[in-house]
Amino acid sequence: MGWRALNFRDPASVPLMEADDIALVTRAKAGDAEAFRALVVRHQRKVYAVALGIVKDPDLAWDVAQEAFVRVHQHLPEFKGESAFGTWVMRIGHHLAIDVIRKERSASREAIDDVREQDIEEAAEGVLSTASGVSPQQGALRRELLEKIQGALAQIPAAHREILVLREVEGLSYEELAERLRIPKGTVMSRLFHARKKMQALLAEYAS
Amino acid sequence: MTRPFEQRRECTIVAPMLTAREGELSAEEVSLLDQHLQGCNECRAISLALAETDGLVGEALLAEAARRDFAPFVDEVMARVGAGPQEKASLWARALAWARAHRAAALMGTLAPTLAGLALIVYFSDSETPPPPLAGEVEVVAEGRAPMVLQTSEGPVVLLGGTDGT
Repeated sequence: MGWRALNFRDPASVPLMEADDIALVTRAKAGDAEAFRALVVRHQRKVYAVALGIVKDPDLAWDVAQEAFVRVHQHLPEFKGESAFGTWVMRIGHHLAIDVIRKERSASREAIDDVREQDIEEAAEGVLSTASGVSPQQGALRRELLEKIQGALAQIPAAHREILVLREVEGLSYEELAERLRIPKGTVMSRLFHARKKMQALLAEYAS
Repeated sequence: MTRPFEQRRECTIVAPMLTAREGELSAEEVSLLDQHLQGCNECRAISLALAETDGLVGEALLAEAARRDFAPFVDEVMARVGAGPQEKASLWARALAWARAHRAAALMGTLAPTLAGLALIVYFSDSETPPPPLAGEVEVVAEGRAPMVLQTSEGPVVLLGGTDGT
């Protein structure tokens, strides 16, 4: 029985692109600026996407995303790794985006629509079915639809936008949404349903 | 045709479950949802409609993020956290970061050309007035028939001349 080589690589020797978040965080905490840079590059687009979904304005979303990473850098020594680094960054970005919305809302208050029974009857029919195919025509329609989605997203209440973005960009579960938004699971389900229904109705309007 | 009240009530309870992903509902909820969908055309239609747009918001936002040029993003972040600009960091990004970190100095830097210009204007406007006479030089300040006054280094000297020219 021959010897089996075990490769215990020094974390510092692992190329940045290969290193996982934990290794990069460890190196960044030790003052390795390149490791922090790699973390930013890895998560920047997703943080930006969440911010964009919430604040709607691309330049504002850019600033929010940058501020998120600046805060992350400031608080990196306190990061204990109880949650994934990505989750932590996204949470900071999300909260900063919400702060921006709150400041905006102080001027014009935006109410969250309550659950309305008649909403159930307002569901648009399956007019988007043609947009889910793969033919060139359908592909073009889909691209157009993706552009329309941002317009539709801007039209729904901030709380609906928020939950939809967290669900679809971050991929949070009901439980994670409840924890992040500090609302009961039942409220998560209800809010998410109405958010998706409004989006669906708005997109159906575009498609028609 | 309107649905019976009881069914509408059940729709209200069940509809939010339509956004659930696998494993997010309890066995009891799954059973209730399945049972309801079998007998409710409206909720089945909603379920199909929601399925068509599921994930589109995430897809659209991530597509938008992918389309945007993120080249300066990380350099700007690194400059802001003071982790030292990289060689590849743009001059503009570094200048911005420096300006953010040294607002007072940046303000002075911006004002410096203006202040220098003002200093030059003051200097040249002063130089237009004739310089005072140097010590030892004599300057005639009045002449003719009137008494002549000579400005000397010892002070003015008045020469009282007669009509004969002496």
